[in-house]
Amino acid sequence: MPEGKKSFMQNMKEVIYGMAAHDMSRYAIRTRASMEHLFILITMGDMIGVPILPPYYSLRLLPYVVPQIATWKRRLLREKDISDAMF
Amino acid sequence: MGLKAIFEQNPERRYIMFGGKGGLGKTTFSAATAYWLASRGKKVLVFSVDPQASLSDIFQKDIFGKGPVKIMENLWAQEVDADQHIKQYQGEIRQKILDMYGFDEVPDEIEQYIQAASAEPAMEESAIFDAVVDIVVEGSYDYYIYDLVPLGHALYYLSMAKVYDEWINKITKLREEMREYEEMVSRLKREKETEEDQILKELQYIRTRINASSRILTDREQTAFFFVVIPEEMILLDTQKAAGLFAKFDVPISGYVVNRVVPHELLQQVIPAYLRNRIEMQDKYILQIHEMFGKQVAAFVPELERDVTGLGMIEKLADIMYAE
Repeated sequence: MPEGKKSFMQNMKEVIYGMAAHDMSRYAIRTRASMEHLFILITMGDMIGVPILPPYYSLRLLPYVVPQIATWKRRLLREKDISDAMF
Repeated sequence: MGLKAIFEQNPERRYIMFGGKGGLGKTTFSAATAYWLASRGKKVLVFSVDPQASLSDIFQKDIFGKGPVKIMENLWAQEVDADQHIKQYQGEIRQKILDMYGFDEVPDEIEQYIQAASAEPAMEESAIFDAVVDIVVEGSYDYYIYDLVPLGHALYYLSMAKVYDEWINKITKLREEMREYEEMVSRLKREKETEEDQILKELQYIRTRINASSRILTDREQTAFFFVVIPEEMILLDTQKAAGLFAKFDVPISGYVVNRVVPHELLQQVIPAYLRNRIEMQDKYILQIHEMFGKQVAAFVPELERDVTGLGMIEKLADIMYAE
């Protein structure tokens, strides 16, 4: 079978995944993302003025959330997003 | 029961704490106890978690922020320098961020957070808390003697262990739930393994640190907590209140040591009315102490002819405290 072409079975697998599980996994990913933001809020809340205990140990977690900080702040500042209505 | 008997009958109690209002002799008793244990061949570390520690003064040696310093055979003393500890810790966090993402410098926003978090008053307390975990977890001494900060702070320190514990349990649970969602996605997409969650690993590490510390503070088998009091009304009332609060945090109270008792023998001499009045006042409160604390009174320590600094005076005091 040439490189790049999918077998019939492979295609079937993906179609079935798309029909049955894609919605579920998208939902799970979204929930996971919300939780991620909740997590940053309860560990790094100081950053946006929510006092959080205890700062010493939150610093330990800081390196891991560095890339998410910007999205997190944006998300918290916006009440609703147009995509919420669309999907 | 006397102090000597308490120590001899409970050899497994290796975390010793003296608590009480400021200036009543906590550091002095810590030093004398450390001296007594060390001279009986036990390996002892006496350490202070007080930002204004005075172990340096009593041992007449500058030990602030220098780690455990050997004072004599079997006896080490340590004063935690919280500022230094925080600076070093901040440095480690910055380095980790640089290493993880290959940055040349820490992003502004993040740097500001590191600075702001470190300026919070709770930061110093937590840093000390963490330093203490380092000290006691290392574990190569027979005895650890905590020279505690004055009562209010000690209570804060104790309650912090509980608050941390609850905080960490909640966020660990949240993190584990997040993990479940991640695994669900992986299963649905038929991916092999989800990446290991580094944050969850950190949380579990933090939890072991916090548990180690709060377990020691409330361990009936291994911990002995002594209150230092003097025969004066205000001190007794405050101590009674504090003892109630300590009991709430499950801190096992092993006894009360009464300090600064003016020797009764003086009454046989010609002494000024001033001194006579003080002895009478103390007699009244000593009676009250017996009523309040009963058999828990472990020792009466007289007012000495001079302040206790240097090993000579510490030895003299230890002989009095740990007499038969």
